[in-house]
Amino acid sequence: MEPKREGISVAALHHQQPAFRGLDAGHMACPGCGQALGARLVTEAIGPDAIIANATGCLEVFTSMWPRSSWRVPWIHSLFENAPAVASGIEAALKAQGRQTKVVVMGGDGGTFDIGLQSLSGMLERNHNVLYVCFDNEAYMNTGVQRSSSTPHAAMTTTSPRGETRMGKRHLKKDLLAIIGAHRIPYAATATVAYPSDLRAKVRRGIEIEGAAFLLVHSPCPLGWGHDGADSIEVARLAVQTGFFPIVEMERGVVAGVMKIREVRPVADYLRLQDRFQHLFEDSREAREELQHLQELADHNIEVYGLRADEPHPRDSEGADTVRRGGMRWS
Amino acid sequence: MTTMTRGGFASAASSLEFNTGGWRLARPEHRGRHAPCETSCPAGENPRAYLGAAADGDLRAAWEKLVEANPLPAITGRVCHHPCETGCNRGQYDEPIAIHSIERFLGDRAIEAGWDYPVGAPGGDAPAAAIVGAGPAGLSAAYHLLKRGIKPVLFDAQPAAGGLLRSALPPYRLPRTILDREIERVIAAGIDFRPDKRIGRDISIEELRADYRAVFLAPGAERPRRWSADGAEPARMRYGLDLLKSWTSVGDLPVKGKIAIVGGGNTAIDLARVLKFAGATEVHVITFQALPGAAAVPDAMSAVAREIRQAVEEGVIIHDHRGIRRLIMRGEKLEAVEMVHMREMDDSGRGRRLVAFEGTETILKADEVIPAIGQEVNSAGFESVIGRGPFFHADRFGRLADHAGIFAGGDACGAAGTVSGAIGDGRRAARAIEAYLRGTAPPEQAVIEPIAYRHLNLSYFDHAPRAAAPILSASERSAGNEIESSISQAGVHAEAERCFSCGECMACDNCWTLCPDNSVLKLAGAPPGRDRYVFDYEHCKGCGICAHECPAGFIMMIDEN
Ligand SMILES: Cc1cc2nc3c(=O)[nH]c(=O)nc-3n(C[C@H](O)[C@H](O)[C@H](O)COP(=O)(O)OP(=O)(O)OC[C@H]3O[C@@H](n4cnc5c(N)ncnc54)[C@H](O)[C@@H]3O)c2cc1C
Ligand SMILES: Cc1ncc(C[n+]2csc(CCOP(=O)(O)OP(=O)(O)O)c2C)c(N)n1
Ligand code: SF4
Ligand code: SF4
Ligand code: SF4
Ligand code: SF4
Repeated sequence: MEPKREGISVAALHHQQPAFRGLDAGHMACPGCGQALGARLVTEAIGPDAIIANATGCLEVFTSMWPRSSWRVPWIHSLFENAPAVASGIEAALKAQGRQTKVVVMGGDGGTFDIGLQSLSGMLERNHNVLYVCFDNEAYMNTGVQRSSSTPHAAMTTTSPRGETRMGKRHLKKDLLAIIGAHRIPYAATATVAYPSDLRAKVRRGIEIEGAAFLLVHSPCPLGWGHDGADSIEVARLAVQTGFFPIVEMERGVVAGVMKIREVRPVADYLRLQDRFQHLFEDSREAREELQHLQELADHNIEVYGLRADEPHPRDSEGADTVRRGGMRWS
Repeated sequence: MTTMTRGGFASAASSLEFNTGGWRLARPEHRGRHAPCETSCPAGENPRAYLGAAADGDLRAAWEKLVEANPLPAITGRVCHHPCETGCNRGQYDEPIAIHSIERFLGDRAIEAGWDYPVGAPGGDAPAAAIVGAGPAGLSAAYHLLKRGIKPVLFDAQPAAGGLLRSALPPYRLPRTILDREIERVIAAGIDFRPDKRIGRDISIEELRADYRAVFLAPGAERPRRWSADGAEPARMRYGLDLLKSWTSVGDLPVKGKIAIVGGGNTAIDLARVLKFAGATEVHVITFQALPGAAAVPDAMSAVAREIRQAVEEGVIIHDHRGIRRLIMRGEKLEAVEMVHMREMDDSGRGRRLVAFEGTETILKADEVIPAIGQEVNSAGFESVIGRGPFFHADRFGRLADHAGIFAGGDACGAAGTVSGAIGDGRRAARAIEAYLRGTAPPEQAVIEPIAYRHLNLSYFDHAPRAAAPILSASERSAGNEIESSISQAGVHAEAERCFSCGECMACDNCWTLCPDNSVLKLAGAPPGRDRYVFDYEHCKGCGICAHECPAGFIMMIDEN
């Protein structure tokens, strides 16, 4: 125990923190897990009066080790494919009771892009007053890193290895946001654990809005992506600064705002930190072409979303995480 | 503890019972490191500490942190060459913190507001020490002895304290009101000042030693170094420092025609500017050193770079890498000087040697040549301790090898030649003197490696322009009016907020916000700073995110294997 907190128990200190945190320590996530951080940041912004429906996946597993739980808000897990349906039912029941409790769904990219997509679509179409948060770690991590439709092109997973004919995943990352947008819901956005203030602001917006809201949170996975746990934030930040993961907001399916990139970095800076892209740095024609392909995809994002900043702005990729003495930045 | 049943719900965060800390291979720890601004300040200030207090809006606390090391901030804020800013990590990002502007502002504010120096009166039975010379070195030693509970008795040959600050530094960069008020305040803090007492004339050093167990010698370097060109000297040669001193005491200097000043130090530059203000037609400065550039030049002129720049703006002509080979006389009268390309070169391991390059001679018309090539100690009265001279040979704490109880510092020791250096000498000597008087362990020199730029996480800072002090244009300047003025209080705050807080917690909340395991916890009521955060080692998995994302480089991962 450190001398400066002598006499205070760890549990007591956890409950004396100046901000409400709906997800606490003792969970079983890997060291440096982006999703564990992301989920906690989301709970900070929703507050204690909330019910979470969690799809199957790492988050569900690592927070609920029988007979304990890391959650400090009511939380339910049913199946992989039906979390939005469960949430829809909860929301309808609360509505019938005239209660204001917020309903939030959390799921991985496997649960969102693939397995739960039809029940998510139904929830959005019926415009339930629910916020859906997808923690996008770009593969099925909990079962040992299988590709999902969110896995980026050319990334290696156990089911999209670098083989004799393919340089990692053959297909492209599904443009889920366009599908969500096609439901014309009031609010949809992307965010990342590297910019916590932006993330929390978007959660608050999604909660405030009457009707369905969707948030895609880029969440580095040291195990599946093969980067050092200490670099999780760095990796997530580079995904934004390279244009690889665009940070955007949509109202009724129309892009309403983006986080501009002040200093656009080459995608290689992002890829180099991760084992899943190491084969792109081999000395071969295929590697060079696929590396360039990823650069072109990032450039395409920058182009279609208009990500390049004309002038510095406090909420662009450089300004949005500026810290101040005394921690005012994050509060 | 709520027990779990099938279909039941968990009590809040019951997972706290799982001690995931056991997974850890390395633990994060708070490890304060010295900032380069501190390690490069000759006076030993810790700018980071007072910038932090200034950013928090507590100017008095900021001043108190500042005068921990330097009792003369209103003065150094104006005249120091501020190597702290050269060392400042922010210089590698955009522009260094304007540390001197904040130092000056705090010094001035303390004078205006009459804040007391944070020193108490020494007890009745406290030991006493004698200090010879009330320049910055002597004043600093006296102040730091006082802070250490020792009675300082300060002797000076002159009627007023200040040394060269008073006798030579021109008021256009050190106004007399500031000088007088700051020095008066330091003395009033509890220094027993004895003016008009020249050691070697009014009191001998032996008498002094009989009365005081410890003596600090800081008589500066009063005697001009002799100069001649090929053995030739004009009949009535006037030396630079003498001229400058008579100008500061009389306020006027008879001057006419074209002047050639030899030397590249502060005396040469200040004299050149004073002569220019006084109406000399042309003023030339001839030096074998180089003009300072944007990047560090190894043989740069020793004068403060800012002052050289301003002198050039005012019309002073500098001939760098030049020396005087010959004086061209018509009888008694100087006609011209013969200049030659000249540089200091490495003498194959035997130090440095001045080399003049044949065939590069040029003629410069001049009515007077004034040497300003440096001073040495006026050793009259100090013969028994100065050895072979012309400077005292002291270690970093001012100790003289064969003279226990005698200490020396400042210009009298040759090396530093700056106000902040003299202040640092006085400060360190006070430590050694205290140890000597109280019989405690003598201080030892420690080599401190400051935190490097690459150990900061710069993602968390944004570019912001450096505070610029208002400055008179060359045509508005005169010898008696201060050229540079202060930045505003708002400017001080903005500037202090630019500080990266290298190596010390700035309470930014990054570690607390970004730990995926909620294992950085805040303590309620703790002031903004390192005491606000603790690690929960029962749950911390040692991922290293907090260390990587700490903007200030204050967290280090320590191997636990
Ligand atoms: C023209 C000029 C401009 C300068 N500009 C700058 C500048 O911009 N920035 C900077 O950092 N430095 C500058 N310097 C250098 C700086 O002034 C000196 O390095 C500094 O003053 C040295 O301090 P000191 O206490 O060692 O000696 P001094 O300031 O020389 O003080 C010595 C004191 O000892 C007294 N004394 C001498 N002999 C005796 C004795 N026998 N008995 C009793 N008292 C005695 C003297 O009267 C004097 O008061 C400048 C110097 C000059 C000459
Ligand atoms: C219907 C169904 N199919 C498969 C599984 C096995 N399974 C459990 S977790 C998981 C992976 C989840 O991946 P994702 O949704 O991306 O979340 P992550 O673990 O990556 O956070 C799988 C396939 C299951 N529990 N239910
Ligand atoms: S004394 Fe000089 S070097 Fe030290 S902090 Fe002040 S200006 Fe900087
Ligand atoms: S940024 Fe601040 S702490 Fe770092 S060197 Fe500069 S003044 Fe010192
Ligand atoms: S971020 Fe948290 S878990 Fe990771 S090393 Fe720091 S305190 Fe430990
Ligand atoms: S991250 Fe910020 S709050 Fe944490 S130790 Fe570093 S400076 Fe202090």
